[in-house]
Amino acid sequence: MIDLLPHIINGLTLGLLFALIALGFTLIVGVMEVINLAHGSLFALGAYFALTVIGGGWFSGTPFGAWWLSLPPGLRYVLALAIGPALAGLCGMLLELCLRPTYGKPPLYGLLLTFGAALVVEELIRLVWGTGEQNLALPQAINSAFLLNGMIFSTYRFFAAGFSIVAIAAVWLFLERTSTGAVIKAGAHDSEMVRALGYDLAKLRLLVFGFGAALAGLAGVVMVPIWGLRPHVGVDIVIPAFLIIVIGGVGSFWGAVIAALLVGLAMGITGAYAAAWATMSMYLLLIAVLGFRSRGLLGRKSALEN
Amino acid sequence: MSKNTISRRVLLAAGATSAVSLFAGPWKHNRVWAQGAAKPLRIGITADASGMYANSGASDKRGMMMAIAEANERGGVLGRKVEFVHIDTETTAATGSRVAERMISREQCGFLVGAVHSGVANAISQVAQKYGVIYINTNSSSPTEAGQNCHRVKFVFDGNGTNFAKAAVKSAIERFGPDWMLLTNDYVWGHDTAKATKALLAEYGGKVMEEVLIPQGTRDFTSALLKVQQRKPGVISAAIGGDDQKAMRQQVAQLGMGDKPAWINSQQDWDDVYGLPVDNLFGVFGTTWYYRLDLPGVADFVKRYQTMYPETAMRSPGNVFYNGYMSVRELLSAVERAGTTSNIAVIKALEGHKMPARDRMQHFDASIDADTHQVQQTIYLATANRAPKEKDDLFEILSHAKPDDVRDTDSAKLCKLEPYDKTPTFDA
Repeated sequence: MIDLLPHIINGLTLGLLFALIALGFTLIVGVMEVINLAHGSLFALGAYFALTVIGGGWFSGTPFGAWWLSLPPGLRYVLALAIGPALAGLCGMLLELCLRPTYGKPPLYGLLLTFGAALVVEELIRLVWGTGEQNLALPQAINSAFLLNGMIFSTYRFFAAGFSIVAIAAVWLFLERTSTGAVIKAGAHDSEMVRALGYDLAKLRLLVFGFGAALAGLAGVVMVPIWGLRPHVGVDIVIPAFLIIVIGGVGSFWGAVIAALLVGLAMGITGAYAAAWATMSMYLLLIAVLGFRSRGLLGRKSALEN
Repeated sequence: MSKNTISRRVLLAAGATSAVSLFAGPWKHNRVWAQGAAKPLRIGITADASGMYANSGASDKRGMMMAIAEANERGGVLGRKVEFVHIDTETTAATGSRVAERMISREQCGFLVGAVHSGVANAISQVAQKYGVIYINTNSSSPTEAGQNCHRVKFVFDGNGTNFAKAAVKSAIERFGPDWMLLTNDYVWGHDTAKATKALLAEYGGKVMEEVLIPQGTRDFTSALLKVQQRKPGVISAAIGGDDQKAMRQQVAQLGMGDKPAWINSQQDWDDVYGLPVDNLFGVFGTTWYYRLDLPGVADFVKRYQTMYPETAMRSPGNVFYNGYMSVRELLSAVERAGTTSNIAVIKALEGHKMPARDRMQHFDASIDADTHQVQQTIYLATANRAPKEKDDLFEILSHAKPDDVRDTDSAKLCKLEPYDKTPTFDA
């Protein structure tokens, strides 16, 4: 009989990482009712931008590159953690501008456009950063292992899980405790009223998309030291992210967080007893939840259903 | 003028379009050769450009292209220029079938070359056998490829899981003990490699404590690695491929589990580890070639690669590129020896063909087994190089095994090649 506790701990940390991935996705779906299939591409872009910041990118080999690489690794990593998501956010804004002609049309239009964007971004990544496996260097302080309950755990994995908790809390506070957050939430429920009150809905949508994309980029920077970085890494995360927001309820912030934790736990515990079913457990959980609650755990009626 | 009348311009355009269609046909690709020019020999490159083995597929293709370029520099084959067409097989068996069909029936390819994923290779070879088109499996290493899934038209150029396991298992039991755990990618190559490992463990007194099946596309290996810690095996034998393996390596390195327990990885494709830190390159693994082997021709081969691909991020060729190159070179030389592109004649020129060690830049002579069509070649065991001579010097070669010592006799028993008279004739 194996000790289940390490696997539960592992499942919870994995769930927190999934929550970070799903956060931007659920925000965009909830507010704009666009299923952004390019979410994975923005995730990948954030990580690749971070890679360039950490490694000096195209400046390596120049005097500036040499000076840059002489900076402490920790500082470069912190900068990458800020710059990577910010640039991914800008890319998200660009995508939102391309999406505008699809507003008011059936959801399929937005779906196809974001799918096309995902393909384009993957090819661009190949062109700019190459097809090979890349390694996002981590500062030594967070790149080690420690003993817990007689088992070895990765320090970085716990750092990433802790970071996810902070990020989830920050996003929640932003949405719940700031006027901009209130307008964003109102835009999700009654965009006509928001417009009538004098808010620029186009700007609001641009902001939301940029913010969601930055969260995707942030998830990318945090996740790739665990999963590895290659051009199609974004494809690996779109399916789990999509499943999580469906399980949690489309557009529900806490639904996404709870669903992510459940998916992580399901995968962690299944991995202990029947590893071959670990990936499948996500889908089984989806079936189980939708069997009882067709709109997911905390879902409400959405315009996507019309 | 009424809106319903057809203008003269439209009528003329329609007439012109019809005339062109009659001449060329919208669905048929016609090519006109200059008088006296021989029809080019077309090779269909069935390499993955996307999916789990996209990276390896790119190397595979580069190897083939270099062999084709060199053949054309020598004046082609039988006086014919060698052309190639590449379609992405997407690391998906169904796509492999479709691509093979299209290459043979629409792209006029006379030969098909390339594969990394065994499921894709098997799918392509079924189509190739149906038409009688010779297919070279360059880099997929499931024992089934030259075993139960062998075909008269298919030739397998990579070492397989059994070859690598035979090279590693016995010495690992002696050194690290009999208690083994297996991490196995849940598809044909993983299962067949694990099966070979289990058979050898039984033969040499080892035992399998547990086998953990890892689904393809797994990105989080922590559950499996926690389980390994709980079971405390002496050795882990991992048959995990492509991107899955890259993710696993990163996570093993983060946990500091690379040194204990001992890791045996069936085959380590160069493309799967190139660019990774040395910490991620743990354990003992097999390969068919290394760019720093101290053998004649190796340095020149590396130089030719670097000259032809100055922009490629991978600055040194690996085993996948090598297999891609060697397989096309041997195919074209078999056509030359046969003096014809007729499939049966070329098959016979390949069967049993002996390749000197010097030509293949390996330690021992190699040969194409006439009964299974697998290349019997030197198998190298390697580990991470802790004292590299240069940036790319990732491997330390530990030993090299003779082809006969690692021969896959079990798969050979399952291989039943179709008779010549049951193989459709085909002339490229």
